Amino acid sequence: MIEELHLFGIYMPAALVWAVVAGTLAYCLRNLLQRLPFSQLLWHPGVLELALFATLWWALTFLADNFLSRALVS
Amino acid sequence: MIHRRSLLRTAVTALVICIVLAAIYALWMRYQVEPLTRDGKVRADLVPVAADVSGLVTEVRIRDDEVVRKGQILLVIDRPRYQLALDQADANLATQRVSLAQAAREDRRNRSMTELLAAEVIEQGRARVDALRTGLDQAIAARNLARLNLDRTYVRAPVDGTVSNMTLQPGVYLNAGKPAVALVYGQSLRVEGYFEETKLPAIHLGDPASVYLMGVADEITGHVESIAAGVEDRERAGGEAQLANVNPSFTWVRLAQRIPVRIKIDKVPSNVRLIPGQTATVIVHARAVDVPVRRSLPW
Repeated sequence: MIEELHLFGIYMPAALVWAVVAGTLAYCLRNLLQRLPFSQLLWHPGVLELALFATLWWALTFLADNFLSRALVS
Repeated sequence: MIHRRSLLRTAVTALVICIVLAAIYALWMRYQVEPLTRDGKVRADLVPVAADVSGLVTEVRIRDDEVVRKGQILLVIDRPRYQLALDQADANLATQRVSLAQAAREDRRNRSMTELLAAEVIEQGRARVDALRTGLDQAIAARNLARLNLDRTYVRAPVDGTVSNMTLQPGVYLNAGKPAVALVYGQSLRVEGYFEETKLPAIHLGDPASVYLMGVADEITGHVESIAAGVEDRERAGGEAQLANVNPSFTWVRLAQRIPVRIKIDKVPSNVRLIPGQTATVIVHARAVDVPVRRSLPW
């Protein structure tokens, strides 16, 4: 499990970094998402964006824990 | 038609909210519940080596960061002075022996002439022999002490270890009992993870553990050797034989306290060097035989 990431001499908690990455990705994908007809079926489009962010955050964490080499980040 | 569409919207929204909740639950489990900490340290016991006799340091036989064996001589303290003390004690002993021999001869002579001498004189002679005999014992003890002191002028390593942070040079005057050199006791090397108290229920003695040093990707394996028996109560002051002094303020926002968990190191990759004080990430893995403790929500 990757618990911290080494970024330019600073060790940051992995959760924070993955959250920032997931947030950025979700922001980039939201326009695409709103164009889907699917989004008409929601009370509020924000719910879908929230789901996208949470899923991305979890997916990034899961992928990093299982597949990211520690040598790259520590 | 509108009714059906509204039902569908509700169902889809509920589904998406369920996805959000599931992801949050998974993230919570991963980051808040699983027993791992970034707050770990490599630790070892420090053995302060002190001289048993006072005196000038005449010789320093070690240098900084040197690995020493148990019994190896580290310092030599003013041997000539303690050699002189031993010579003096030897001379005292010889004097006592001569006096005792003379007194014993006199006593023997006195006792062979009981009709000529007063009983008092004979008793005095015998008492003198007894006093000199105890004096001789004292002199022997003093000589042995002087010999021990001379032996202790060699300051030896009490354990196998590594000299650390040594600046001692010949010519320094050392007082007996004052630590002069610190040895890092190599066999006591271990990792201590400071786990939040909320994570402790998931940690059991003997659980395998992975340790990652800061900046080192190779895994160090170990197992949970022990969990601290107690930590300081920060809300309470007052020592023994005093009344309890409990802090009257109770904070709304509280942080889980940290409990040291000792990890015994089983295997270190050959090229990795453990230095006490290094930062480490500690991950404890559950075993199938662990009896789970019911933890408070959200679990």
